[in-house]
Amino acid sequence: MSKKKQEMSQVYLGTSNEFVFGELGGKGKHLSSFLKNLSLTSTSRKSKNLGEDVNSSIYGNMQYGRVLGEELGNGSGGVGGGGSDELLSSPGSPKLRPKLVGRSISMGTSFAFSGSHGDDSTSINLGGGSSGSSQSGVGNNGGPYKHSNLSSSSHLKSHRTHSNTFYKDLDADWDADLNDVRNKKLTSVKQKDNNNNDPSNKSRNSLSLVDSFHPEIGMVSSLPSLPKRKDEKISSASKKQSLDHEDHRAQLEVAKQNQLNSKYSKFYKILKPGNTIDINELRKLSWNGIPQDLRALIWQLLLGYLPTNKLRQSSTLTRKRQEYNEGLRVLTIDFDDVKTTSNTSSSSLINNKDRQIYHQINIDVKRTNPSIKLYGDPQVQKSLRKILYLWAIRHPASGYVQGINDLVTPFFHIFLHNYIWQVQKKAEAMNNPLKESDYEGLFIPGILDENDEIEAQFLKDPQLIHTTLNSLDTSKISPRAWSVIEADTYWSLTRLLETITDNYIHEQPGILRLVGELRDLISKIDLELSKHFEHEGIEYIQFAFRWMNCLLMRELSLDLVVRMWDTYLSETPLGFSHFHIYVCAAFLIKFSGDLKERDFQEILLFLQKPPTASWKEKDIEMMLSEAFIWQSLYKDASAHLRS
Amino acid sequence: MSFPNPVTSVKLVLLGEAAVGKSSLVLRFVSNEFQENKEPTIGAAFLTQKLTIGDRAIKYEIWDTAGQERFASLAPMYYRNAQAALVVYDVTKPASFVKARQWVKELREQASKDITIALVGNKYDLVEDDNEEDLVRKVNVEEGQNLADEEGLLFFETSAKTGYNVKDVFVAIGNKIPEATASGSDTATNQTSGEGRIDLSGGGNFNNATSGCC
Repeated sequence: MSKKKQEMSQVYLGTSNEFVFGELGGKGKHLSSFLKNLSLTSTSRKSKNLGEDVNSSIYGNMQYGRVLGEELGNGSGGVGGGGSDELLSSPGSPKLRPKLVGRSISMGTSFAFSGSHGDDSTSINLGGGSSGSSQSGVGNNGGPYKHSNLSSSSHLKSHRTHSNTFYKDLDADWDADLNDVRNKKLTSVKQKDNNNNDPSNKSRNSLSLVDSFHPEIGMVSSLPSLPKRKDEKISSASKKQSLDHEDHRAQLEVAKQNQLNSKYSKFYKILKPGNTIDINELRKLSWNGIPQDLRALIWQLLLGYLPTNKLRQSSTLTRKRQEYNEGLRVLTIDFDDVKTTSNTSSSSLINNKDRQIYHQINIDVKRTNPSIKLYGDPQVQKSLRKILYLWAIRHPASGYVQGINDLVTPFFHIFLHNYIWQVQKKAEAMNNPLKESDYEGLFIPGILDENDEIEAQFLKDPQLIHTTLNSLDTSKISPRAWSVIEADTYWSLTRLLETITDNYIHEQPGILRLVGELRDLISKIDLELSKHFEHEGIEYIQFAFRWMNCLLMRELSLDLVVRMWDTYLSETPLGFSHFHIYVCAAFLIKFSGDLKERDFQEILLFLQKPPTASWKEKDIEMMLSEAFIWQSLYKDASAHLRS
Repeated sequence: MSFPNPVTSVKLVLLGEAAVGKSSLVLRFVSNEFQENKEPTIGAAFLTQKLTIGDRAIKYEIWDTAGQERFASLAPMYYRNAQAALVVYDVTKPASFVKARQWVKELREQASKDITIALVGNKYDLVEDDNEEDLVRKVNVEEGQNLADEEGLLFFETSAKTGYNVKDVFVAIGNKIPEATASGSDTATNQTSGEGRIDLSGGGNFNNATSGCC
């Protein structure tokens, strides 16, 4: 893909802060021009009016965000009201520069290899060199922001450095906050950089606000006496003090709890204060993993489904959920019909093609996540049928494709979990009014409803506190709540699939291209493995097709996929297409030694059931870090070769 | 033949509509297992199984393809070099029989002209107890047999769930594969079988395949 297109897709993502329904139907109206677009671009999106028209009619009347120029005009007080082309060629305006820097990250993400001590001064900048705007951006923003990934950095002996400090969601409602945020960041970036890398620096925990929250994940009861900032104290004090063994163990225990608290508090700092959530800070933090209870909220923010402007969240979600229900209401399909025989005369109202789609979805939902009890539940299966069917008929260019039934489950899982969590927290707050404010800003609006009688029952249910997704009695959840969970899942799935639509259209050109990219990438990273595959006659499509079609969901457990998506959703553009290639490369190379010992058949058999059963989050995080490095190294290189 | 126990490799592909039980047939043949709700196959799955038929050892290299129409463009890659194909339908679903007919046609036009094809009507367990009033069966044995006769196919009705006739399909295919394709140790054939097209002399079947219907 050319550099320019890359950046345009970034621009598009920057503006995609919400979903908007179009007005007219028009299934498949502009099919040919749509396909033309798809064959030229990977994201199949353009930020211009033309592109939106085409896509909105193909994709069942949904459009995201607005035209870039308009957004920028509003967002930055009239500066740079042109389209993306103008933006690209005018890096001179200081107000625009942050945007440019932001966009350059995907092309020239720079990272630094450093010594095992993580000393900044020894770092070598390897990426970003090919992009002029990136260079000037770094100069302007006062130094790159640095990630430190707890589990991976120690293995890799490397730190990753982001220069994506500045890119902004150009939400129209940002007028009031935009300049303020920028000014603040301009002066604080350097300081932040230091803070984030120095665990002994206490200043980042100095916000009293943060410390007033005490998440109880994993704790049966809250422990108000627990010293909340002790881990920081320990780490700074440990150099001076020598501790006896028992103390040390106790402190490790405390540190473990507090590490969790500290992770939460960092997220609270972004999520709770003010009317607008800093999406870029959120992305940086979320890249390294999101705490379970905040995941639904943050995923919806990262997807651009939930507006970052809190004043608009409630109304936006209300509208989207209504639209979902409206979409279902006009369908003449009986979602209670689970018969697998295709000659059901009862459904003669709908035409044959739609019936076929429903039939295919019906048989696939029955065999989705067969190893997880929840997905055998009739209510859950009904919800999935609704979501998948509505998506399929609204996206006729691709329709329903096997594998999409896998992709819907992480959203559904997380949003259902979030509902139970909110009910549990609300029940807690009813007993202890002081706690209510703790969750302010952490609840997705409109999930709970005081007028919902079934929910009121659920709130009083003695089993509530012990309810998990595994033990859930789905009849305790009201139809209203199911509908909300479904709607949020539907829109999130829509947003995800929109970034990889050409994986699912006729002949699946997206997948073929991605598989080719993976092959090229492996030949650069691991020439020996590449040659061995060639020698054995292995075609990448034979094993990697599924990796692209199901985003490695068949290779990894749902829990690990969910963790992986934290990072995918934090990437810009969303990581389900390009970043995924690098993850696949990291995944394959993990088994490189094994694979080189094997012949054709053994390789295929191995890759069909890779030994990931014992994998933990740290294995995933390691893989993601490797993917990040390779993306930084090879993305520019390949772009350079192509242009 | 003069080899004491020559290994014959058979490249075999499964084709057929979604959810007719292709993967379940293979799972029954390879592991003698059955899973009620097996995840849909994406792209294709590769499995192997060895079987001794008389004095011949046959190694089946099986490509189990995905059934959904959207994946159909991948199928040629898998049947192009195949020596045998199982075209599977569901005896309770007429549409799947129509699809099976299409696959046979495509194989006749596109695949190796010597390919051995077996037509397989799966889910026999569902129609075992059929009574006159309420027939679960939607594709008659005769329909399957007629298609098989017209096109010169092996024909079986099977149940991956109970195991009924499953092994018989593979044995019949093995018997149809001429020994000319046997080529020493199985590891040596791997590379050539992956790429090279092997011209079969044809007409080398030793036993007449028996029809599996009762």
